[in-house]
Amino acid sequence: MNSIDEQLWSYIDGTCSPAEQQAIAQLIAQDEALRIQYNELLKLNEEFSTMELDEPSMAFTYNVMENIRTENAMQPLKATINKRIIWGIAAFFIITIAALLIFVLTSVNWNAGSAVAIDINIKMPQQLDASHIKSFFSGSVLKGFLFFDVVIGLFLLDTYLRKRQGIKQH
Amino acid sequence: MQSKPSDIELIEQTLAGNQSAYADLVKRHQRFVFTLALRFTKGREDAEEVAQDCFVKAYRSLGSFQQQSKFSTWLYSIVYTTAMTFLRKKRVDTSSIDDDEAYIQIENKPGAYDAHNIENKSRSFYLNQAIAQLLPDDATIITLFYKGEQSLDEIAQTLGIEANTVKVKLFRARQRLKEKLERNLKHEVKELI
Repeated sequence: MNSIDEQLWSYIDGTCSPAEQQAIAQLIAQDEALRIQYNELLKLNEEFSTMELDEPSMAFTYNVMENIRTENAMQPLKATINKRIIWGIAAFFIITIAALLIFVLTSVNWNAGSAVAIDINIKMPQQLDASHIKSFFSGSVLKGFLFFDVVIGLFLLDTYLRKRQGIKQH
Repeated sequence: MQSKPSDIELIEQTLAGNQSAYADLVKRHQRFVFTLALRFTKGREDAEEVAQDCFVKAYRSLGSFQQQSKFSTWLYSIVYTTAMTFLRKKRVDTSSIDDDEAYIQIENKPGAYDAHNIENKSRSFYLNQAIAQLLPDDATIITLFYKGEQSLDEIAQTLGIEANTVKVKLFRARQRLKEKLERNLKHEVKELI
């Protein structure tokens, strides 16, 4: 059973059931002492409502916005990258592919006569001279390249493992 | 005449990239957030730090705000968690809500006790003084109820407890506030005599 104070507060707040509300209203009307107690609480309730909020410093909003700006500036590149750059790169590839397609289509000899064979007028080299390419894959260059690959691979693995550890700790 | 944009409208503008909309949102809620933070930290500098941290956190997770509750309820829950973390870090005594013997030091209240002219002190001064002497939990519930325009259910959501528990805690907090208020006023009367 709630104390009478608790019941009176519920009545003031309007958080009790309609039946309880009716019962308390009746009690207040009948009992003089209870009415005084109720009026006291009502006065206290009004006083609590006059509570004043504290004011932060003048620069509060500025400081918050400055913190947000600093945080945004420190975000990783992949999160802050401008979408226009991505669209620019996409546009470059689309234009290049379209240009190549147009070049190929304009090079086709559509009047070749045969319905099956289309004469494409692009001259490809008859024979590739790969002798100078072979020199790039000599023993020392190949070893150097593989060593560089291994170092890069280990570096990326280390970065990945650190990231995973960081996420687990958070 | 153009009406003020609602919290939701300001959030939508912020999410669309308009940072000044968020500044408006901060201006709208800063007094209440700061007051709530002050209920925990008891010092203006710390309260300002906590309140700023709350707004930055809210900005960061604004995209995850699902608009199922009021923005203020969501924001106050951030304030509550941030302030609790702050208290834990500072190792301030946050003993049980029933521990009436706990004493809290009031900082940065210049002239709170040295002024002797009772006539110059308003009722709200005594009220704020008494609230500052309450435990953080009590002061928070009272502030949320009377100034945050929060229902018992919304306070329960903010504090992560049952609505019935909020009701009981609110009742006890009000009783304690009443006692503090009476004690402080008695003290002032004695000083005058």
